[in-house]
Amino acid sequence: MSAFAFEPVSARRRRTDRLARGAVALLTGVALVPLALILWYLVRQGLGAISLDFFTTDPTGSFLGDPGGVKSAILGTVLMVALATAVAVPVGVGVAIWLVEYGRASKLAHAVRYFVDVMTGVPSIVFGLFVYITLVIGGIGGSSFAAWKGSVALGLLMLPIVTRSAEVVLLLVPNALREAAYALGAPRWKVVFRIVLPTALPGIVTGVLLAIARAAGETAPLLFTAAAVNATAFDVNDSMNSLPMLIFKNVGQAQDRLVEIAWGAALTLVAMILVLTLLARLIQRRSRLS
Amino acid sequence: MEAGTITPAGERSSALQRSPAARLPDRALRWGLTALSVGVIVLIAYFFIRLIVESEPVFRQVGVVDYLFSADWVPSKELYGALPLLAGTLITSAIALLLGIPVAVAAALFVTELAPRRVRGPLTVVVDLLAAVPSVVYGLWGFFFLIPKLKPAEEWFADAFSFVPFIGGTVTGPNYFVAGLILAIMILPIASAISREVISTVPSEHKEAALALGATRWEMIRMAVLPYARGGIAGGAMLGLGRAIGETIAVTLVIGNAPVIGDSIFQQGYTLAAVIANEFGEAASNELHRAALIGAGLVLFVLTLGVNGIARAFVVRAERRPA
Amino acid sequence: MRYSQFLALGSAAAIALGLGACGSSDDNGSTGGSSSSSATLNGAGSTFQAPLVSEWASRFKDSSGTTVNYQPVGSGAGIAQLTAGTVDFAGSDAVMKPEEVAAGRDKGTPVHLPIALGAVTVSYNLDGVDRGLRLDGPTIADIYLGKVAKWNDQEIASLNSGVDLPDTDITVCHRSDESGTTANFTQFLADYSRAWADGPGVDKSVQWPVGTGARGNDGVAGCVKQTPGAVGYVEQAYALQNDFTTAAVKNKSGAWVEPSLDATSAAGEGANPPASLEFSTIDADGEGSYPITAVTFQIVFQDVCKAGLDKDTAASLKAWLTYILGDGQGVAPELEYAPLPASIQSRAQARVDALECDGQPIEAAQ
Repeated sequence: MSAFAFEPVSARRRRTDRLARGAVALLTGVALVPLALILWYLVRQGLGAISLDFFTTDPTGSFLGDPGGVKSAILGTVLMVALATAVAVPVGVGVAIWLVEYGRASKLAHAVRYFVDVMTGVPSIVFGLFVYITLVIGGIGGSSFAAWKGSVALGLLMLPIVTRSAEVVLLLVPNALREAAYALGAPRWKVVFRIVLPTALPGIVTGVLLAIARAAGETAPLLFTAAAVNATAFDVNDSMNSLPMLIFKNVGQAQDRLVEIAWGAALTLVAMILVLTLLARLIQRRSRLS
Repeated sequence: MEAGTITPAGERSSALQRSPAARLPDRALRWGLTALSVGVIVLIAYFFIRLIVESEPVFRQVGVVDYLFSADWVPSKELYGALPLLAGTLITSAIALLLGIPVAVAAALFVTELAPRRVRGPLTVVVDLLAAVPSVVYGLWGFFFLIPKLKPAEEWFADAFSFVPFIGGTVTGPNYFVAGLILAIMILPIASAISREVISTVPSEHKEAALALGATRWEMIRMAVLPYARGGIAGGAMLGLGRAIGETIAVTLVIGNAPVIGDSIFQQGYTLAAVIANEFGEAASNELHRAALIGAGLVLFVLTLGVNGIARAFVVRAERRPA
Repeated sequence: MRYSQFLALGSAAAIALGLGACGSSDDNGSTGGSSSSSATLNGAGSTFQAPLVSEWASRFKDSSGTTVNYQPVGSGAGIAQLTAGTVDFAGSDAVMKPEEVAAGRDKGTPVHLPIALGAVTVSYNLDGVDRGLRLDGPTIADIYLGKVAKWNDQEIASLNSGVDLPDTDITVCHRSDESGTTANFTQFLADYSRAWADGPGVDKSVQWPVGTGARGNDGVAGCVKQTPGAVGYVEQAYALQNDFTTAAVKNKSGAWVEPSLDATSAAGEGANPPASLEFSTIDADGEGSYPITAVTFQIVFQDVCKAGLDKDTAASLKAWLTYILGDGQGVAPELEYAPLPASIQSRAQARVDALECDGQPIEAAQ
């Protein structure tokens, strides 16, 4: 270090500095290119498919005629993700509460945290495979594909995300709040449900929205659990369509109209996810605990 | 705020002590949540065990070593050698790391050290937005845009550098390289976010010391920031690797799904995740084939477990350093 | 308090959604008024017959109210799903192999019902070359073996004097999934090429010496469409829809025949299937026969209820099969599939009538 002391900066070092900084800036620019390209391409290819009919008709599966729209796919995604959320959020938040309020630094808590971390790393296709083995082939609730089985796979995916983010937020709730409530004689469950959760709510909602955004875009868990059909159906015991499955089916098709529908569906899906993501960030920014 | 339920005086030693009945919700909550949390452990353990049990037929028939290291994956002939799949997974992940990590770290450096203050927020949001694009859309874009656009460039590259091993030879549309490139884009947000975190925790004293002694900005980064953040960056890279290993849909749409080990990175291949997605339907009634696919899932699970474990070790070690 | 209102709203929404989902049947009129599954049939399999099945399904829905969901996942997957019990019927262009039959033993005996004939075209994407390029069995086999790598190769040129063949590399497109179309195509190749028969052989899925794989007939069609210089084997409906140029293939009698409705029908004439109705029209006799004509089947179990269907679904299944073997046959030519010859059609209908539910003949739907 002493070699630098009080010596004028040589031209060579200045050049290296400029080159290196330029390289870093260049690489950063490179990082921005894919997103720009994807969004531009999505809009360019997908906008043509968007129309009122696109959102209000089901895919017909008809070979020569009108390919229809994506209504059943949108409804299917909404329904299956909602079902998955209804299961993953209570369980995820429950585990997070346990970790923060009860488990804390105990050995069991370490184990639970470790296993939740393991869940985060499991590839989504392995979740789908697991549900396929246990629920579809295993014949629970009938041996066929079912939307609720797809929701189970999605729920498994969402669980660690919800738990992790909820735990972080719950830890941020100041202990003073809890202690004040205990000092006033409030039972534990009231402290949790009336003090801690409401304070942490914006952060938890952020985590939930991000988990929903993730689950809405997943295809692999649905491949062999909910499969995909064309008609709009609300029966969770049958296969159900979804946006990612529709897109996946239509990629590589030779028919231009089907490809166009895939792009339109992709645009719709990305728009939905972007809205959820931005909503999550907005809530996070307005939260009292950042 | 009301006080806790007050029990009839004279029955308890303290006015604030609650009756057993009043304590019931607390006990129920505690046991309920504990059961839930233990349930998570049980679920994952069952998960792992079930994978092992269901894949046992193929390991019994073929043997673990042969399953992992023989190169013939031909289900119709009951040959289940997962080497091409393993190779494909590792090759595409390696390409993803090589292409993605430098860019991710550069973006993180730029945002934390070099960018003007006003640009930092928007820039961060843009890089993170890459995570909002679902896998199937990456595949769609890769299939229709990247593959045709890159083919001429790949052909030129393969010709110009054909003396380099694994570069020269025929170029197919879908290939390892395109898959690796898309994976690189997909891991950018995670790797960049973690690198950003770690770089921003570099103590300013280190940085100021370097600058005070006359280092240029780049020299400061090279001497004070990068060495300190090295562990965390490596952790972020490992997390990205874990993501790349398990990625299914985007890869299967652009890799060609050929159960062979290509001669160059510009040829078709297959990965563990892609084979599960493609062949599960045909394996529904074939116990051995199904076991082979579940075996692939098990290998994937173990791989991601290992990689994520290493990642965590790096990140934890980096976080524990004294400031 | 705002928070409890939020909680109440959220729970109410979740419960409402859940109740609405579990209780309702789907919106098409249920024939018997019983559980929703009686008005829905699930099938999966061959992409070869998928265009025809989807047309049939839409017309059948209009006439009977029953929804038929068909997943075009390939013959192999369809058969596997059938024996695993996840679908009610399978579509397949290949007869089930003994091991596949054995896998479904607990569900009973499978019944193969031929439903139509279709042409497996050899489609190519070659600028400046019109349809009707002459290719015979040995040449096509050599292309797929990788022995013929360029379009202006001597082997192709010798069959097509007068055609200006470009110096383009041949990109072979083939199936990556288990396919009945592949089984029929490789049967044709094996009939004309010793090297093919001894090498990759005949199966729904083979080790392809060269080429790019794609899922489904539609995937191969996509491969051909997007790659200049490509050649691929796709069913006629896909070739027509994408305006592909298709080869004229030499048949058993030595005539060069392009795929067409007449040529496909000609291949089915004179076919005399055994009692099991498992037959093939590959390399059929007849001057005007297209040599790569395939029979496509729908497969169900003899005792459908023992195999897992309930009574109402069994009735719907019988109605569906009766439709496609009856009125549906008139729809086939619209998509360039050849209807079954009358004798085969009546034999197939007799097999449908003989299907059972728990030992009894299937009763018609109410």
